Amino acid sequence: MPEMWTRLRPWAFPLLLLTTLEVYVRRVSASSDALAPPTQALKAWWALLWLTTDEGLWQVTGFTLGTAALGLLLGAFLGLVLGLILGLSQRAGHMSFLTIEVLRPIPSVALIPLTMLVFGFGVRMELSVVAFATFWPMLILTQAAARQVEPRLLEVSDALGLNAWQRTKWIVLPAMVPRLFVALRLGVAVALVVAVTVEIAANPHGMGYAMMIAQQSMEPARMLAWLFWIGAVGTLINALTLRAQHWVHVRMGGTLPQTSQAST
Amino acid sequence: MTLLSFEGLGIHLGGREILSPTSFEVARGEFVCIIGPSGCGKTTLLRAAAGFVLPGVGQIRRNGQLVQRPSREVAFVFQDYTRALLPWRTVEGNVLLALEAANVPTSERAAHVQRVLETVNLQAHIHKFPAQLSGGMQQRLQIARCLAQSPDVLMMDEPFGALDAMTREALQDELSRLVREQGLTVLFVTHDLEEAIYLGDRVVALRTNPTPEQPSLAAMIDVPIEHPRDQLSVKEHPEFLRLRRELYHYLGHA
Repeated sequence: MPEMWTRLRPWAFPLLLLTTLEVYVRRVSASSDALAPPTQALKAWWALLWLTTDEGLWQVTGFTLGTAALGLLLGAFLGLVLGLILGLSQRAGHMSFLTIEVLRPIPSVALIPLTMLVFGFGVRMELSVVAFATFWPMLILTQAAARQVEPRLLEVSDALGLNAWQRTKWIVLPAMVPRLFVALRLGVAVALVVAVTVEIAANPHGMGYAMMIAQQSMEPARMLAWLFWIGAVGTLINALTLRAQHWVHVRMGGTLPQTSQAST
Repeated sequence: MTLLSFEGLGIHLGGREILSPTSFEVARGEFVCIIGPSGCGKTTLLRAAAGFVLPGVGQIRRNGQLVQRPSREVAFVFQDYTRALLPWRTVEGNVLLALEAANVPTSERAAHVQRVLETVNLQAHIHKFPAQLSGGMQQRLQIARCLAQSPDVLMMDEPFGALDAMTREALQDELSRLVREQGLTVLFVTHDLEEAIYLGDRVVALRTNPTPEQPSLAAMIDVPIEHPRDQLSVKEHPEFLRLRRELYHYLGHA
């Protein structure tokens, strides 16, 4: 019995919050157009779940996640390759320093007007903004990771007479993996945030747009349903990347659990 | 036959002379220990001999060739074994690295790994990761990887300095045995007098703050105690006590 209580403890606060919201909306602002009780939101979510048109839950979620994933893939890949080059070659690092410092502070959403002009609405404009947003953290963190490889291991590679390619393949890249995973987790979070932002601001597709439509058509229940759903999807993705990170960590000879608990 | 020759090797750091020009030779099959207090330049001397750093003054020759860069024929055992092992590779994988680097044919690798791990008594832990091994076992693994290089000479930089006394003695005995068995040439840096005498055929003693009257090379002493040696009888040997006193005198009054 006490074990069960321990397991239920983290759910107490969210439940309390939801109940409060439910009671508040029903009692105090029953006639409000701005708010809906959580139970109504759940009902709206249930309706969306069984909707098989283009506005259905899975189609809309699929668009956002698919586009975010493609953008992340592109941005992370370019960031990884370029970060590796800039991290390993000091000359390349020096030459690119100024360019990076000028381009990096541009907020990714500031690119929306430009990408709209170039690509129009759709997958490509959203994808390119996500790629831009995830490229920078990946680049900077990869560059740092390449420079922070244990110097002793580089001496070992010298003593064993490894050539540049063998050293990169057998020493540098594996040594970077833990730091690259930190970069990747950051990238995943950024990708989802930016994708939804682009949909709210401009692109008439995906979860962000669906939420905007619900809001503009005065359907707070559906709007809240999307809001909760986006949160749930984000939590799930974070948990999955955390699990992947842990799996890789153990496979690569790590013994201690790296993060104490899967934070939700 | 001379394998290594140090010819007037000197080291400067920040404009200060750490090691005054020093010359000596190491013959093939010889076990030479270099001792001295911290800051006498013994580690830098070893790193120069391995080709990690270029000497400021003088030169080092191996097999008559000038040493200018690291070579696969020189195996280097670092003191900090945790940082010198690849944590993402198993015991087997760490040894394989040396074979992969040397382009040993794939078909011969397994037997090679097995043989090397048996020499250092790690064959039962072949699939473990370094983090799952004790300090002594990790250092054995590093030695195994160095043996897998089939080196001309083994260079060891205070390899047992971070281990507890019991493990240190066990590893000294193992090293002594396998060096004899394989006829290896060893250059061994330590600050432990007894370790140097116990292991070495010859001890090179260096002092700090060399002056023209008192150069870095304080003494070079042969150890006339026959092999195989064991901890108890050697450390009660009159020759051992005499050498310890002599070396202590050289270094203590440097």
